[in-house]
Amino acid sequence: MELGQIRLSADVGGTFTDVAAFDETTGELRLGKTLTTPARLVTGIENGVTKAGAQFRAARLFLHGTTVAINTILERTGATCALLTTQGFRDIYEIGRVNRPESYNLFFRRHEPLIERDLRYEISERMDAQGKVLIKLDEDAVRSVVADAVGHGIEAIAILFLHSYRNPAHEQRVKAIVAEMHPDLFVTASHELSQEYREFERTSTAAANAYIGPRVRRYLGEMGDHLDAAGFAGEFLIVQSTGGLFGVEEAQSACIRMLESGPAAGVIGTKALCDRIGLKNAIAFDMGGTTAKAGVIHGGEVLMTGGALIGGYATGLPVQMPMIDIQEVGTGGGSIARVEMGGALHVGPESAGAQPGPVCYGRGGSEPTITDANLILGRLAADRFLGGEMRLDIEGARRALETRVATPLGLDLRAAADGILRIATTKMSHMVRWVTTERGLDVAEFSLVAYGGAGPLHAAMVARELRVARVVIPRAPGHFSAYGMLVADLRRDFVNTWFTPLVEASFATMENFYAEMERRGREAVRRSGIAVAGIAVQRAADMRYVGQEHAVTVELPVELFQTEDRDGIKKRFDGVHETRYGYSAAAEKAEIVSLRTAITGLMRKPTLEPIRAGEVVPPAAAFRGTREIYFAEVGRVVDTPSYDRAALLANNRIAGPVVIEEYASTTVVHPGDEVEVDAFGDLVIEILRS
Amino acid sequence: MDAALKPEPTSSSHRVDPVTTEIVRNGLIAATEEMKTNLMRTAYNMIIYEALDFTVGLFDARGNTVSIGLGLPMFIRGMSDTVKTKLAHYGMENLDPGDILLTNDAYITGSHLNHMTFTVPIFHDGEVVAFSCCMAHWPDVGGTLDGATTDIYSEGLQMPIVKIYRKGAPNEELISVIKTNVRLPERAMGDFRAQIAAVRTGERRFLEMINKYGRDAVLLGIEAIMDHSEAATRARVREIPDGVYEAQSFMDDDGVRIGERVPINVRVEVKGDRMKVDLTEVSKQVAGFYNSGETAGRSCCQVAFKCLTSALDLPINDGQFRALDIILPPGRVVSALKPAAMRMWMTYPMTIIDTIFKALAPAIPEHIIAGHHADLVVGRVNGRRPRDDSFYIYLGGLIGGGWGGKHNSDGRNATIAMNDGDTHNGPSEQVEAKYPLLVERYALRPDSGGAGRFRGGLGCEQVVQARHDIRFNSQMDRVKCKPWGLEDGLSGFGNSVAIHRFGTAQEQRFHNGKALNQVLHAGDAYILRSGGGGGFGSPLDRDLDALARDVRCGYVSKDAAEKYYGAVFEPETNRIDAAATEIKRSEMRRQGLPQDEPIADTGVPPPATAHVHGHDHGHEKLSEEERVALAMTGRCCS
Repeated sequence: MELGQIRLSADVGGTFTDVAAFDETTGELRLGKTLTTPARLVTGIENGVTKAGAQFRAARLFLHGTTVAINTILERTGATCALLTTQGFRDIYEIGRVNRPESYNLFFRRHEPLIERDLRYEISERMDAQGKVLIKLDEDAVRSVVADAVGHGIEAIAILFLHSYRNPAHEQRVKAIVAEMHPDLFVTASHELSQEYREFERTSTAAANAYIGPRVRRYLGEMGDHLDAAGFAGEFLIVQSTGGLFGVEEAQSACIRMLESGPAAGVIGTKALCDRIGLKNAIAFDMGGTTAKAGVIHGGEVLMTGGALIGGYATGLPVQMPMIDIQEVGTGGGSIARVEMGGALHVGPESAGAQPGPVCYGRGGSEPTITDANLILGRLAADRFLGGEMRLDIEGARRALETRVATPLGLDLRAAADGILRIATTKMSHMVRWVTTERGLDVAEFSLVAYGGAGPLHAAMVARELRVARVVIPRAPGHFSAYGMLVADLRRDFVNTWFTPLVEASFATMENFYAEMERRGREAVRRSGIAVAGIAVQRAADMRYVGQEHAVTVELPVELFQTEDRDGIKKRFDGVHETRYGYSAAAEKAEIVSLRTAITGLMRKPTLEPIRAGEVVPPAAAFRGTREIYFAEVGRVVDTPSYDRAALLANNRIAGPVVIEEYASTTVVHPGDEVEVDAFGDLVIEILRS
Repeated sequence: MDAALKPEPTSSSHRVDPVTTEIVRNGLIAATEEMKTNLMRTAYNMIIYEALDFTVGLFDARGNTVSIGLGLPMFIRGMSDTVKTKLAHYGMENLDPGDILLTNDAYITGSHLNHMTFTVPIFHDGEVVAFSCCMAHWPDVGGTLDGATTDIYSEGLQMPIVKIYRKGAPNEELISVIKTNVRLPERAMGDFRAQIAAVRTGERRFLEMINKYGRDAVLLGIEAIMDHSEAATRARVREIPDGVYEAQSFMDDDGVRIGERVPINVRVEVKGDRMKVDLTEVSKQVAGFYNSGETAGRSCCQVAFKCLTSALDLPINDGQFRALDIILPPGRVVSALKPAAMRMWMTYPMTIIDTIFKALAPAIPEHIIAGHHADLVVGRVNGRRPRDDSFYIYLGGLIGGGWGGKHNSDGRNATIAMNDGDTHNGPSEQVEAKYPLLVERYALRPDSGGAGRFRGGLGCEQVVQARHDIRFNSQMDRVKCKPWGLEDGLSGFGNSVAIHRFGTAQEQRFHNGKALNQVLHAGDAYILRSGGGGGFGSPLDRDLDALARDVRCGYVSKDAAEKYYGAVFEPETNRIDAAATEIKRSEMRRQGLPQDEPIADTGVPPPATAHVHGHDHGHEKLSEEERVALAMTGRCCS
């Protein structure tokens, strides 16, 4: 490989590290899957790079997604931090929103702050909602509080003052004081991460950043040292939850932006795939061992959201910043099927995970899972799992399903296994439908792009349930997030809360807001050191009818501002509201809640080379024999052919039922459906509409 | 899909396969979740979109609950009973496709007039197969704004059961009656539209399921879900030892007969796999506005029963209550008859539920919880914005309070009371942007959680400054009758409300929690304080590491640690001296200490008056910013 022509990416997950290496001269994509090495994550990455037949020395770019940030929160292994906040508000972080989602559970739990109460300090200062100073900052108090916190051994400080989204002066001043006193402390001020109102959510965001900061900074530093040692002379970029890339320097201070980098990269990969094969609307469907996730591409754009709860709805910690809107349901290959008290059959969210794993892994799992059901029905072959590296115990799976599900419910084994898959299918389809109906979109107008280890096994069933006509299984679906990183752009997102009735909104003021956000975005792109092909700017505003609380994000073309087209803005808002909620009110006044912008530094994209083309009939070498698979829709076992995906050629077309196998996953094509290999090696399945 | 319906007449569970049943179950949950989100996102008032004071659901053709999307946990019966009453009112034969039935009759919903309840009969092949229903709290339905009410007529517009849509056409005359009788008609119509959209979403999803899986599969699946729920709850009741269990508690007063305690006596009988809750000895209906209808009384029993037998089971359906019998004669405070005043319907039922847990404590100590603050701690504000003189109503408070300790863990801090569920408080930044108010402080109340081996959760304190003239009302209870502890745990602090006038030394407290018709001027503040939860187990058994953390983090003061927990601190290090503490604890046990005072004024520390601004400041001469800041720095509070 020639120096400087390789683009490398590494997606480090809990179990596996996926590496993708793209050669820009040949258009060749090589992949390496290795076990994650938790003690020293760079080792796993290095192994993956080797397995992909690449070298850091030859790479021009290294793109990285990691779970180190989110795991630090979920596993509570972050730094001891202090919070400096407005007098009277240190308990906001603990009080939260006082809600009790598990309303009948007397043993309900709540979110647990990352900073204990004795390290949450109050400072005399106050702004009002317009950003006017009511009480000036007590700088002496700041100094004494910081000294006290440092005496308690803190490594990081988060700063949250009320209304800092409107006027960050006090937060900025405190940060400067801390930097003066202790230049080595990790300090994060809330307005640097979020300039949106909601003090609890902003506190939680800043606190989480402080909490993970020292560890993430260390991790990225070590990675940089390792890259230097390995002779890497290119640019090192990190994937954010928006799916966009940012430079390491920024990643070391705004660590929280990389929280969901892996799942986001999968959606970015889906968008690239859609661009390549001309799809405007697609669901990015990612099914792994414990969960299934879905993101949305609509009109060629990835749909975003303003925040998420890290650790689940009931007890999660909020993070308030733009990110790809990804929904999740606890249905994965390892999800357990269980007969509950009263005789109901439930599937998930309990999961056998990777350890002990499904019964058929033979590692001590005793409760039947979705993977076991797939094996029993013949959809997985016992001797071909992970390219035959791991033999599955079908007898064990049968015994477990028989005694724990089939017999108690009076079902035969096959009906029980099929039932588990159907239940899982409906659960996943509700989740997928949710991401579209939530925005007033009709899922039947979307294609389903399925990846993750278990996605290709179930995608056709989910598609049929949703009346989706087409499923696409990309190349290397088990490495899809690593692929997605290769096609990401540099990106910075900004949001600024500015409560203003639309009729009173001054275009000059709006222009100032946007110009400042765009200036910062361009600056961030410039500092990353990447020569970009261009810069794209998207403007939007969160708007609502006066009196409403929930705002919708309305994309606003720059021309509307250039022509000062207030009515045009209102019409766009009415339109989004109409789509999303089924009604709009042209006569009612609207108000702006926040202004948003995304600045994208466009990077040269790797272009995948087409695979070798063949005839409609697949080459004989690809055929791997037949096996008996049960399909409920025909009510019987069918002698089903299987093919080796690596040997299929473009234009090959096979009528279902058929299974197509590759290293880390199996695609199931059902009776009546038909699969075609496209020019780039994607499997495109046409779903029979019943 | 091969739904494999085997025609066995025994039970619905055997006529539909378990896989289809589970698929229908997931479909029902998804449908009601979608109704809920749809309503939240489109509603115009904060009580719906933040407080989640609404409930949506699907009901079978007889009006039984099939799936409820919360919403308001205490409305667990409200919609089913309302659907049944509507059905009886018209008769099935007089319902047509496109009809939407509406009522806010407080004696039907069991609650207050704010609860506008819309119902759509779902037709399939010309027959009603189910109902889709939505209740949501409107911020204003007319009636008097301030003070206490003593009958229903002063509480606002009463809409009997009507067809607000008849065969798809809106009844504009009735709509105009509504608009004429409420203070914020545009907002009301926004919520009206949102509710119609929600019930239609439920209708659409239900029909989609029928089209996909078949009508029999869905309807039999629903019966099977209810049968499964019944079987699961019966099995759990069977685990409760048979017996008769009784408990008593009190409310402070009804807001009219000041200082007169209102008794709550409950009797629970467990026999085999059935439970009977008898509310006969609960107080008769009261003169003030704390009454609720029979539906609410039955909800009390069902909520308590669900917490104990099917807490996390979904969907919420009437199968879960088949093993529960309820005895509730009319005319009690939770089965009140017209024209009883109902505006604060939600307060007493929360204490009734806690009292049911208290009764069952000896039988199932590992499944119950000590008393919680049991009040929504609401402050009602209305006024006109100085900017444009526009009228506004702000429902303040909902600040959360302490929950009771349990056999294995502390009570939770700062969580909304039982009546509400996924209710969110309003961010202070939003409150200040929307209303001419300033939140000076929103904090936990140290020592408010009842001492115990497992401590009660902490209540909160919120101080809100008026930036111009406002009218303020707050109607709290359980101020003196504090959240009780169990198994030698102590009671927590009660709820309270106070006003602090600009420049004065003392806050003005309202000893029974009823601050009515108060006018606040710029610089004055109202102060809401929520109670803590009761403790569980003797505080003398509290783990010392847990106690040390309590003191370090300020959840428990050093004084309280010494007085109630028997802690002895090393004078130099301020660390707990374990050996000395053990000796002191033995001595306290011998003396029968610490003592509990379950009914008493909470010893809120007297307000520290740091700076008293004399009137010589001439507070009208100050700029607004100066006045706000001066008021804040001179506040009295802890």
